[in-house]
Amino acid sequence: MIRLDRVTKVYKTSTRPALDRVSAEIERGEFVFLIGPSGSGKSTFLRLLLREDVPTRGTITVNDLNVAKLPRRRVPRLRQRIGCVFQDFRLLPNKSVGENVAFALEVIGKPADTIRKVVPEVLDLVGLDGKAERMPNELSGGEQQRVAIARAFVNRPFLLLADEPTGNLDPDTSQDIMLLLERINRTGTTVLMATHDHSIVDSMRRRVIELDMGQVVRDEARAVYGVGR
Amino acid sequence: MRSDFVAHEVLNGLRRNVTMTIAMVLTTAISLALVGTGLLAVRTIDRTEELYSDRVEVQVALASDVSTNDADCSQPICQGLMTTLKNSPLVESVRFESQQEAYARYKQLFAGQSLADVVRPQSLPATLRVKLGDQAAGAAAVKQAMNGQVGVRTVIDQRDVVAKLFDFLGGVRNVTFALALVQAIAALMLISNTVQVSAFTRRTEVGVMRLVGATRWYTQLPFLIEAVVTGVVGAVIASVGLLVGKFLFIDELLSGIVSNGVVPPIQVSDVLWVSPILVMIGGGIAAVTGYITLRLYVRL
Repeated sequence: MIRLDRVTKVYKTSTRPALDRVSAEIERGEFVFLIGPSGSGKSTFLRLLLREDVPTRGTITVNDLNVAKLPRRRVPRLRQRIGCVFQDFRLLPNKSVGENVAFALEVIGKPADTIRKVVPEVLDLVGLDGKAERMPNELSGGEQQRVAIARAFVNRPFLLLADEPTGNLDPDTSQDIMLLLERINRTGTTVLMATHDHSIVDSMRRRVIELDMGQVVRDEARAVYGVGR
Repeated sequence: MRSDFVAHEVLNGLRRNVTMTIAMVLTTAISLALVGTGLLAVRTIDRTEELYSDRVEVQVALASDVSTNDADCSQPICQGLMTTLKNSPLVESVRFESQQEAYARYKQLFAGQSLADVVRPQSLPATLRVKLGDQAAGAAAVKQAMNGQVGVRTVIDQRDVVAKLFDFLGGVRNVTFALALVQAIAALMLISNTVQVSAFTRRTEVGVMRLVGATRWYTQLPFLIEAVVTGVVGAVIASVGLLVGKFLFIDELLSGIVSNGVVPPIQVSDVLWVSPILVMIGGGIAAVTGYITLRLYVRL
């Protein structure tokens, strides 16, 4: 479903490639951790999948689409099928929880009655039922990340990209978020999560792709974060 | 496309930048009011030209001996001139005004003034009054044909007198258009700047929109509509301003020459004719400026 074939990305301002001949294949429904130190290329990996950027060399295929060659006008359709969650939540502070989730549907032109129906459903799924009217600043970090996950998942993406989603959260809250991501994964959505969090990776025992200096140094099923790291 | 969503975004955007929005509307309004004034001047010039094309004649004044001796243009010299003129394809009609007729008209024109008593019929020339078929080329042709002919004293083109009036109206038009241009540049920069600020203040929203797969149109349309709304509101204010200006200043200013029939009055219908043009200019220019700004300066 996702396939990277010798993907290299060189940023103009840097001498060392951010990604260096990276090849990987991720099947539908997998749960994959993308680990590695800062600057190892995790975020670039995710950005290329979202077509925020194009690779310097190599091909990226997502759902049989050649992402790098995708014409500009088709990019929105790709992104509509991919959900995204970040360390800093990226909620709109002047919109309520419900409005934040609805926003993701409004801007892709979904009809109002569909939105009225699915927003409460997804809020219920992430454990925020009854909090639709609250504003983001009234919520805890964990709750805010749930809103972000609800927004990413509301359009039922086949792929959920999570860039250090627990980076700002305490260990207990992080565990709750991981349970939620697992739950989403069980619905058939592929989850690709970049993280630094040893304990999460170790406790989940999922596939791990490790990057270092832009290269894949390990790709292992049911793995741990790594000894001595 | 969800119109309620876009409308909501536009309204929010305008409200968030309210001081900037007002500045933009006012600058646009002043610029468009000047354009409107220029257009009204153009319209008045056209109307005045129409008004005069019926009235304005080329007068061929006859020499005094011909004037005195030939009371009905029956003698060879006058007949010859008349025939030459009538044969010209540029001439519509020629009418002979004898000394007596000129005198009668003169007395009527200066009735009650001492000047009327001084003049005797003999001191006024008989004239051939030429109505032109071709306003553009006719006058010069008649002048060329008549000047220096036996029996012709002088050729007077009434349009030389009217030209001064047109020069004045043309000057009004040019000055207003020049001012409008300067204002328009200011308005364009303000619109461009406002779009940029607006896009910057909403970068989080736009970032989220892009992330969830909103199309370029969806992310940019609110900014474009914002620009167009201010352009159109500016045009409406400009139109109202012209209407108010008409009643408060222009009517008064022109009252003298209008009542004399020198210049046709500016009607409410003229302002109503101008305002949709202003709306189109305002909206169109704002849209183009907004679009170019989004393309060149804003990464959405």
